[in-house]
This record gives sequence, C-alpha cells and structure tokens, in this order.
Amino acid sequence: MQNNLIYRIPVLGRLSESNLSLFAGLLAALLTTGFAIWFLKAENEYVIGFLLALAVAVTLGVSRLGGLGYVGRAFSDHEKLMNGAAVCGVLALAAVFREDHFTLLMIAIVLLYMLAGLGLTIQFGYLGLVNLSGASFLGVGAYTSAVLLAHTAVPPLLVLVIGGVMSALVGCLLVLPVLRTKGHYSAVVTIAFAILFMSFLQVNDTLGGPQGLATGEMALFGWGFNTGIELENGFYGSFYLNYLLLALALLVIAFALVKRLERSWIGLSMDAVRLDETAAACYGLSIARWKVVGFTLGNFLIGMAGALYAMMLGFIAPANFSFGDSLILVSIVLLGGIGNPWGLAVAAAIVVILPEKLQMIQEYRFLLFAGLVVLVLLFRPDGLLPRGMRNYIPGGGARS
Amino acid sequence: MTLSGMKTVVGMTAMALALGAGAAQAKDTVEVAFIGPLSGGVAANGLGGRNSAELAVALRNQDPDAKYHYELLVLDDECKPNIGVQVATKAAADRDVIAAVTHYCSAVAMATADVYHRFKLPAVVWGAVLPDVTYGNEYPEVHRVNGTMINQNETAAQFMTEQGYKKWVVIHDTTDYGKGHNEHFSKFVTESGGEILETFGVASDQQDFTAELTQAKALAPDVIYFGGLSPLGVRLRRQMEKLGIEAQFEGTSGIVSDAYLQGLGDLAEGSLAFIEGAPLAKLPGGQFFKEQYEAAGYTDPAEAYGPFAFAAMGLVLDTIEAVGPDRGKVIDALGNTEGKDSIVGEITFDDHGQNVVALITKYVAQDGEWLVWDDSEYASGQRSLVNVQ
Repeated sequence: MQNNLIYRIPVLGRLSESNLSLFAGLLAALLTTGFAIWFLKAENEYVIGFLLALAVAVTLGVSRLGGLGYVGRAFSDHEKLMNGAAVCGVLALAAVFREDHFTLLMIAIVLLYMLAGLGLTIQFGYLGLVNLSGASFLGVGAYTSAVLLAHTAVPPLLVLVIGGVMSALVGCLLVLPVLRTKGHYSAVVTIAFAILFMSFLQVNDTLGGPQGLATGEMALFGWGFNTGIELENGFYGSFYLNYLLLALALLVIAFALVKRLERSWIGLSMDAVRLDETAAACYGLSIARWKVVGFTLGNFLIGMAGALYAMMLGFIAPANFSFGDSLILVSIVLLGGIGNPWGLAVAAAIVVILPEKLQMIQEYRFLLFAGLVVLVLLFRPDGLLPRGMRNYIPGGGARS
Repeated sequence: MTLSGMKTVVGMTAMALALGAGAAQAKDTVEVAFIGPLSGGVAANGLGGRNSAELAVALRNQDPDAKYHYELLVLDDECKPNIGVQVATKAAADRDVIAAVTHYCSAVAMATADVYHRFKLPAVVWGAVLPDVTYGNEYPEVHRVNGTMINQNETAAQFMTEQGYKKWVVIHDTTDYGKGHNEHFSKFVTESGGEILETFGVASDQQDFTAELTQAKALAPDVIYFGGLSPLGVRLRRQMEKLGIEAQFEGTSGIVSDAYLQGLGDLAEGSLAFIEGAPLAKLPGGQFFKEQYEAAGYTDPAEAYGPFAFAAMGLVLDTIEAVGPDRGKVIDALGNTEGKDSIVGEITFDDHGQNVVALITKYVAQDGEWLVWDDSEYASGQRSLVNVQ
C-alpha cells in the first residue's frame, strides 16, 4: 500500500487533493474489508499472529508516510461515500460468511457493541458523563425484551423500541443522583447502580433469578428470525445473518443520528457542558437539561442494543450484565478514542473478536489481550482514532 | 506460553510422533470439543477439567485398537453465559466437531443448551450442578455425568436427620448456587422430619453477618446450614464463633476446599459438607486416573471435577468408537447409555440425559483436612459433632 501511494502520486497528481484522499479512503476501506475476511477465516495460530503483525506494521508504515492523513480527510470530505463504503464492507463480510453461523454471530455482536458504544459516546464523549453501568442498561433492554416476548403479543420490532424506552426511563431515575454529583462522584453513583441492578436481578425470581431466562426470537411480519434464509436458487443464509442485517440497520440509523447530533447546536451545547460547566452556565445553557437529554438518549441506544442482543443469544442471565461487562463497554469507547464513532468500530472489533481468535492459547489469551490494551493506551493515550475537530465545511481542517 | 504449557505441547507432540509412525496415520481424524472456564475466578476447576479431558483423548490416541484418531478443540467460556453461547456456537456450527464435553458453570450450561439443540451437537456436561441443565428441557443432545445439587442435598438431609438433628437455620448466598441448595435442602429436610426455623439470603460478597446471626442465635437451631462458597463460609463460621452460637456447621460442596480450612484454622474442626463425586482414592478408577494424570506431567491439580471431565470424554469417545463419527447416531447412542463403567462409577442416563447413579460423598473437617466421613474419628465415635442428640 505504501508503494501505491509513493509511485502513483505523480499520476494521481493531476487529481485534486480531495480526490486523492477519496482514493486513499476507498482503498483503505477495501483493504480493511479484505483483511477482515482473511482474519475471520484464519484458524491457524501462526496465520493469526502473522495477520496481527501485518496489520500493526501496515498501519504504522502508512501513518509514518502520512497516508492516514488522507484516509482521515476522506472521512471528512466525502463523508457520505465513506459511510456507504463502510456499510458495503460489512455487507461484503455478511455475504462471504453467509453460512458461517459463528462468524456471523461475532460480527453481529461487534455491531451491537458499537450501537451500545454510540450511546456511551453521547454520554462520555459529548457530555463528559462517565457512565460505568453501561452493561446494566444493556440488561434493562435485554430483560424487557425477554419479558415482553414471553408474556405479551407486542410485535418484536416494537419490543426493540420499548427496550430502549425502558432503559431510558430507568436512566431517568439514575440521573437524579448523577445530577447532584460531579466528576468522579457521579461515576461512583453509576458503579453503585451497576451493582444494585445486578443484585436486583439475582434475587428477583420472576425475572429468572441468577439462572437467567430464555428469550423469544425476533420476528418481522410473522417471519421468525431464528430460521435461516433459504432461496429457491440454492442460496442459504444462517439465521444469524438476519440478526446481523437488522443490527446493521439499527446501527446505521443510530450512527446518522449521533453524527447529526454532534454537528448540530445540540452537540455544541453538550461539548460546552463537558468542557466547562460554569462557563456553559454563564452563557445560558441549562447544565441539568443537557445532562438529562444526553444521558437519556444514550441509554435509549444502549437499551435497544440490549433488546436485540437478548433475542439473538436466546438466553440471558444476570452474569451477562455485571460491572465487568460495563468496563468492557467503557474500554471500547476509550480504546477507540472518546467521542469518535469510527473509533468504536475498530475498538469493538478488537475487544470482541481478538479474545475469540486467541482461543488457541487458552488460559493465556487474556494476558496477551490485556497487554495489548496497555500498549495502546501507552502509545496512543487518546485512543486509536481520536475525535477530530468538528467539520462544518467539507475539506476544511480535518484531523486524522 | 509457560513452561507447563510447553511441556504439555511437547509431550503431546512426542506422543503424536511416536504414534505417527505406526497405525495412527491410517486412521481417520475425528474432532471433539472441550468447553470450560479457563480464565476468571473458577479457572482452576476449568484447567483441571481441560487437562483431564485432554488426558482422556491422549490415552485413546495411544490405544492401537481405537478406530479413529481424535483431535481436541478446547474453548474457554469464561464462566459467562454470553461468552458460553459464543463458543458453543463455534463448536456446534463446526460440522467437523462430533461431540463436546461442556461447562463447569451452571448459568453457562443453562444458556448453551439451546445452542446444542439447535445445531444438534451431542454434549456431555462435566461439572455444572444445577438440576435444570438436564431437567429444565427436553433436548436429547444434552447429557450430564456428574450428580446435581438435588442428589447432594438428598444425601445431606438424610444423613443429618439420621444423626438426630431437628432444627435448622439456613443461610445461603443469592447466586443460583446458593438459592438452588437452599431450595432442595429445605425440601428434603422437611420431608425427612426436620424443621427449618428461618432462612436468610445474603449477598455473595457480604462481609458482616451480625444481623442474620443474632436472629439465628435467638432461634437456637441445632444446625446452621450454609449454601455458598468458601470465602463466604469462612467469614460466616468465624462470626458464628464470635457471637457464641453453639450449632453444628453444615456446608455444601462449595466449602470443600483448602481455602476454607486455611482461612479458619482450628475453627474449621467438625464442619460438615457434601459433594458430588468422591476423592480420587475412593473412586472406582481413581488410582488409575491419578497415576495417568501425574504421568502426563500436568502441574495444575485435576480438582474435584477433573475425573468427571475424564469420564465424560471417555464416554464420548467410546460412543464414537461404537457408532462412528455421526452426530445423530452419537446422540441416540448416548441417550441409551446404561450401566457404563467409568472411573466415577457406573453411568446410566435417564430420559433427560442425567446420570442417575450419582456419587455423593460426605465430608467432615478433622485436624485441618477434609476427611471422608466414614474414615473420620467422628464416625468412629472418638469425636462428636456439636448438638448431637
């Protein structure tokens, strides 16, 4: 890839810089998709080790040569095209692995973690509200969908929305003590909530107690998602493909929402609240109002992710929504770069897929995984893809 | 990779090479899976199980009469239901995997039963004790070689009432483990004429039990029954002493550990507990298993459920030998298992795939170690339990 850039630049030189960045961006999207397919197919530990080393080497090399700057510009100058390229990339993965249940499940989990991560991005990245009970809100959504599907005839698509609403409502209760505290103290309040929620689930027998309970399947217009797609021309798709596509659709909607939110006056106000509450208040912003809005919206997204997650797994238990799982969600946001939705994609893939791919080193895998995270935080303390400047005019001052 | 890991790999490779020259080359390779918690709080049990299952496979591969060459796929469920569903899907969706020996944690085994059923992968549970894993569904795919907490508490209730105890106070943690034990013990003890005076559920990380124990003291029970794990048990037993409660302490399989004895010192003396399974020396094939395990050079102990993982894997391999590497046939054959010899005693599956010949052992803490009741000075009458009538 370095070679391409160096030797072809004379040819591409006739193109404007904007088109050059588009070329770099599309090439990066293509290479990433190809790499993802190769990596997900790899079973042998040497191949996986080689691929990891390759990814690190290429990324470092390209970044040395300034190639990442072009990729970054592509995302700001040609946002719509690049968003489309990313969606196409996921669809390509889905098509390649259409019969491979396990790989599809992993990709779908990555997408759902990203959806939950978007919720946390609003809370953390924009508002500066540290929410250490992300998994609990995932749990509220999950349990809502389990209970509704088991006892009512509410259409599952609506259940997803209700899962989000329930999570937002529970968040409204939690926001009261959060508003009365600041900084670390409000983080501690959310930790307390995470523990409270976990204990509540464990002693509550109607919700299955510590054993957990089974969840119904997703269905659209009477068609159950737990049946694979079989077409007459011999096409067969795993039932996880259904969940993957729905998760992707939800993610696209949420992503567009979060991006627009960031660009709007709402995002500006939230940023102001995060950077300096006193100054923001002086300019007439209602701190409490924005915190409630951001916190609730974030929890809505997390709850929705939880509802679909539960339907996909088919069985949920309190142990899925422990404080440790909240930390995993937080680590995705931190690793990706606080406030940058694209960073979430990279981080969620790393956090979900890497430990899975390291299964062959068995009990040592978390050691390696943890070491990797420490290294990233040492050398890229702002996360893998730090949030760039807000970009109102295409082509103006993008940062990679 | 640590030294022990290297040793295992080198050992296995050497074994494979030694065989490679001979008949093994000609055999078809069949893949089987082992799933257990290799990381996290209960990793010790998972590693013991993993080593035992690996041993069963290695021994089979050494056997020149075996029809197939077996490969073991090892997966880590981290004792978390969601991760369990992931790895179970991985094993089950892989058509090369013919059968699996699965799960130590009950919550994980509960969550994955659906996956095995959906993909029709025969699974034999080696450690999870929650009754619902086998009794909560009608899936022909799911079997279990170890006993459940039902068996454990039935034996416990019967034994305790035979000793002449009448009144219990139950303290249990609020996890599935503690709640399940409370439910089954209370049922069996009431049936055999005992009386539960009061039941307290406590958080699994609770530090102070003064409130519960003060109430318990006022009720003057013969026995305090505790359903939970060692760390909690140590605190509870110590605080019982501080408040001067004169009652027999009866635990469950969760306190049969060195941590309990070390944490309490002399106070552990006379504590009772019941466990599915038996010490290696008391198992029908315990001596054989112990020798082989040591010969294989594993540094981690096999732990209480290692022999069950070994037996489960042995059963799976025997079944594949008998009917061939076909999931459907293996499921049918496993379902008809009856009177099958194994190192944990005979295995007979009922219509839910549960081993009905479950082995339960009674333990008492004596002089800083867990002794099988029948070998102890308590059984021979030289020492006596608290409040025996």
